[in-house]
Amino acid sequence: MPYILLFQRLIVRPLRREPLRTLLTMAAVALGVAVVLAIELAGDAAAGSFRSSVETLTGNADFEVTATGGVPPVALTKLAMLPYALDLDPRIEGFAVIEGSQRTVPLLGVDLLKQADTGGSGSLQDANSIWTGRDLGFRKGDRVQLLINDHSNSYTVRGVLGERSGEAIVMDLSAATRVLSRNGALDRILVKTPSTKPLAEWQKILERALPPGVTVAPQGSQTNENRRMLAAFRWNLRVLSYIALVVGAFLIYNTISVSVVRRRAEIGILRALGATRGAVRMAFLGEAACFGIGGGLVGLVLGRLMAEVAVKVVAATVGSLYVSSTPGAIDLTWQIALAALLTGTAVAVISSLAPAWEASEVTPVEAMSRGRLEHEVRVGQLRRLAAAAILAAGAWAASQQPAMAGKPIFGYIAAVLLIAASALAIPAMVAGLTAASSAMLRRAFGVEALLAVRSLAGSMRRTSVLVGALSTAIAMMAAVGIMVGSFRETVLVWMQDRLQADVYLRPAGPSGADRHPTMSPDVAARIEALPEVAAVDQFRAYEISYEGLPATLGGGEARIAGRYGTRPFLSGARPQSIFAQLPGRDNVIVSEPFANKHHVKAGDVLELPLGGKTVRLHVLDVYYDYSNERGYIIMDRSTLLRYLPDPSPSNMAVYLKPGVALDKGRQAIEKAVAGRKVLVLSNRALREDAIAIFDRTFAITYALEAVAVFVAIMGVAGALLALVIDRRREFGLLRFLGAAAQQLRRVILFEAGLLGLLANVAGLALGLLLSLLLIFVINKQSFGWTIQFHWPVAVLLGALSVVYIATVMAGLYPARIATGINPIEVIHED
Amino acid sequence: MNRWFRRGPPSLGVAAIRTADPVEPAQVRAHPTTEPRVTILRLDHVSKDYITEGQPVPALHDVLLEIFPGEFTALVGRSGCGKSTLLNLAGAMDSPTSGTVYVDGVSTSSLDDAGLTRLRRTKVGFIFQSFQLLPTLSVVENVELPLMLAGNLRVRDAALERLRQVDLYALASRMPYQLSGGQMQRVAIARALVHSPSLLLADEPTGNLDSATGELILELLRRIALEQRTAIVMATHSMEATNLADTVVRMRDGHVEEIRQAVKTL
Repeated sequence: MPYILLFQRLIVRPLRREPLRTLLTMAAVALGVAVVLAIELAGDAAAGSFRSSVETLTGNADFEVTATGGVPPVALTKLAMLPYALDLDPRIEGFAVIEGSQRTVPLLGVDLLKQADTGGSGSLQDANSIWTGRDLGFRKGDRVQLLINDHSNSYTVRGVLGERSGEAIVMDLSAATRVLSRNGALDRILVKTPSTKPLAEWQKILERALPPGVTVAPQGSQTNENRRMLAAFRWNLRVLSYIALVVGAFLIYNTISVSVVRRRAEIGILRALGATRGAVRMAFLGEAACFGIGGGLVGLVLGRLMAEVAVKVVAATVGSLYVSSTPGAIDLTWQIALAALLTGTAVAVISSLAPAWEASEVTPVEAMSRGRLEHEVRVGQLRRLAAAAILAAGAWAASQQPAMAGKPIFGYIAAVLLIAASALAIPAMVAGLTAASSAMLRRAFGVEALLAVRSLAGSMRRTSVLVGALSTAIAMMAAVGIMVGSFRETVLVWMQDRLQADVYLRPAGPSGADRHPTMSPDVAARIEALPEVAAVDQFRAYEISYEGLPATLGGGEARIAGRYGTRPFLSGARPQSIFAQLPGRDNVIVSEPFANKHHVKAGDVLELPLGGKTVRLHVLDVYYDYSNERGYIIMDRSTLLRYLPDPSPSNMAVYLKPGVALDKGRQAIEKAVAGRKVLVLSNRALREDAIAIFDRTFAITYALEAVAVFVAIMGVAGALLALVIDRRREFGLLRFLGAAAQQLRRVILFEAGLLGLLANVAGLALGLLLSLLLIFVINKQSFGWTIQFHWPVAVLLGALSVVYIATVMAGLYPARIATGINPIEVIHED
Repeated sequence: MNRWFRRGPPSLGVAAIRTADPVEPAQVRAHPTTEPRVTILRLDHVSKDYITEGQPVPALHDVLLEIFPGEFTALVGRSGCGKSTLLNLAGAMDSPTSGTVYVDGVSTSSLDDAGLTRLRRTKVGFIFQSFQLLPTLSVVENVELPLMLAGNLRVRDAALERLRQVDLYALASRMPYQLSGGQMQRVAIARALVHSPSLLLADEPTGNLDSATGELILELLRRIALEQRTAIVMATHSMEATNLADTVVRMRDGHVEEIRQAVKTL
């Protein structure tokens, strides 16, 4: 009870006296918690869509039988002939685009006689019958125009599937085989085994029965592969989402520190009257917990709202880079809510430990005999600089370590150490810069600048924490900006090398990393026959699984690529010499993300089940690739057709003859493919498409950085407000000494501007170092991409200017408060 | 030896009148009587009410007072009698509820905020009980402050000169926390005088000092009034201060109860 009273009087009353500042601090925590929660919920919803759209229709199978390029029909026969009561569910899986809405949805061909919930009957014979998932919103009898590969047809909805059928469209197996041009091959056979034997034993029985090249895996393996593939993406996104919370932690630290400094005399009096150190400590930890709990509760609501937006962005990125995904429902469980609340509270309490401890160490005599300002920490800056140097060295050492379990743990440790080193070095930087610039600022901007710079230097702890918080947010923004800018520039250069053809063709409909709809083989023949065309590079892609992770197997015309392409290789080898070794042999090249993910290098051998046997593929070289993160294994088209004899190309690169105008060539090609749902893209359009996807992919990282910076600026506003309140006597005095109201306003705005400037300088320096970590360690270990460093000068200047202006604007309200101070009241408070 | 006497019929109600009061040959007035009778500060039927919990609470009532250049005036009275309110009105920091305050002949009620600021910058200096030095500025920078706030660029020489006058030239580069209380108040005096104000308002300037240091400060103020013709109005509880003052204005419950003029023996 006494502690509650102490808490109420020492902590709650002051909080209520300054509601705006209390709300700003709480809002910082709320935003931090909201971002973390939104990203968590969005990530879950985006990743959960595999289950909702495909898995829900898989029933309770035990195993799934798959093969690269499709499961041959003989496999189904062999399984059916086994003397066991196996429940076999063969299926074709593809994608369809609902014309009009342009939504890409999973298309499943299943044996409808086995599916009770389709309610199929006589209409099964109709090749245009489909059953639609509940989320698609169609009703029985609706007509739907679907784009499947390069064909568009009208289908009749014969029924709506049951609960949790998601957005899938189901048709009969034979109809799906036809429209997806599968030539009898199945994509998957789901197997339900009797419970008479253990599953491991059943797996062996099935494997023995199946032809080579066909694999048996526990049901759900593909989903798990997708999840594993997405792990790095989600991990990195999650880390980014915590930045706002880290910035919030700085601000809580600042708030509690200010509380302690302000109430030093009160603490001394309370200690003299018998309060224990523990009681004082708990009071300030309680203050931080109030911010944490209050902010956390608001953050829960805000996070749930933000998740609605975030899930769309995350799903778009997942779809572009990884796997076709339709966001599932956002599911805010009480466990997630509790975790978010605890995270916010824990961050708040932990960040207040140091000032709370300091408060408890105050002795009554010391507190009551020394003024607040005298107490401002005058730290041994050399000692701090030495500690910063040690941390920076630790960061360098950590950055040299390899990934742990595929995650750049040491990269993140290095980032944290760098941020800590920066925080320790900032007081020295602030002291040095303010001392050096004081006279110059006074000459240039007058007494207001002098007062501002001296005030910042005089409140070193407060200034350092504020600059630390804002510079951390700016640094992360700059680092991500540099990383993304470098990545973008690298991709642009790469596209310049990689995309040499004049015109590209692919089936209409949105593209996706794991979707490879095909075009009819005759399309290629028609184009090759055009007099304007010099060469057509047909490329076929298959989704495969390699070492438990999804990847793409592709076959292209190596001779054409060798003649026209300048695809750069990691070894620096001439592309022509590499491509010359691909045709007629089991040689492959692999993309850099694939090589990094599977630790593959030139000279290695990959074993892949292909066309009923296991094929040993020799890796000739590793090439730079930024088209997706799944990773490619590329062989010559002739080699691919030898194992998987389906001539339908997924896309084509067309080279026009010299002297043929692009428009003329393109018109000829469009005429040749008339009637087919094929996209004909110029080289430029393809690049623009690619860079648009790139920009969309990184939109969320910018959004997360923006939130962190916003939190920091709110912190600056709150801190400036506190500063005005603390220095109201000084402002009153200045009025007595002849200061005009505008001069006080200018002092505050100068302080805000100087804070912004110091934070920008520190943030840019730290951001540069963090960007090197992001580019060469974290990104490389997470995704396997080599990014060339590049300064995105315009983006950085723009972002830093916006932050600077926002910081100065954050001083407007405190400046208004300062000019409204009644000098008589504050001077006579003494 | 000083002595106090009740002044004759005032020209402004109960306030001070500067007439050729008969004085004994051995005595002289603290201020010359041969100068033109120009007031540096005049409070003409000034009242000031504060609103507390919705009710007006009178702080000053119908005060008439004239202060002349070089005059050292002590305001005395119990706490809450209106001394500080009078100083605030005199320093153009506050406006009267009724009546008029003239500083160097200018009515403060006729000025806007910018005008009041200009008036303070040129005519008024303040000294406070708790010194009110800015802890982040050095001694000389504190002294320069009023000049800088007024937009003057070359301020260092003037500030150093003022510091020399208060015997703190040698400590110009120190920070306030490195000074004693007496030294801090001398810096505050130098600051209050740096722009050569005609009127120096001091609110309990010796309240935070021991008696010996307080006396030194009072002597300093007295010297300034004499040498620089600066009118000093000082709210005080100090008997030493009242002994040194040319005029003592005794206040009670917002009224000027008595004005006494000191006659000093040469």
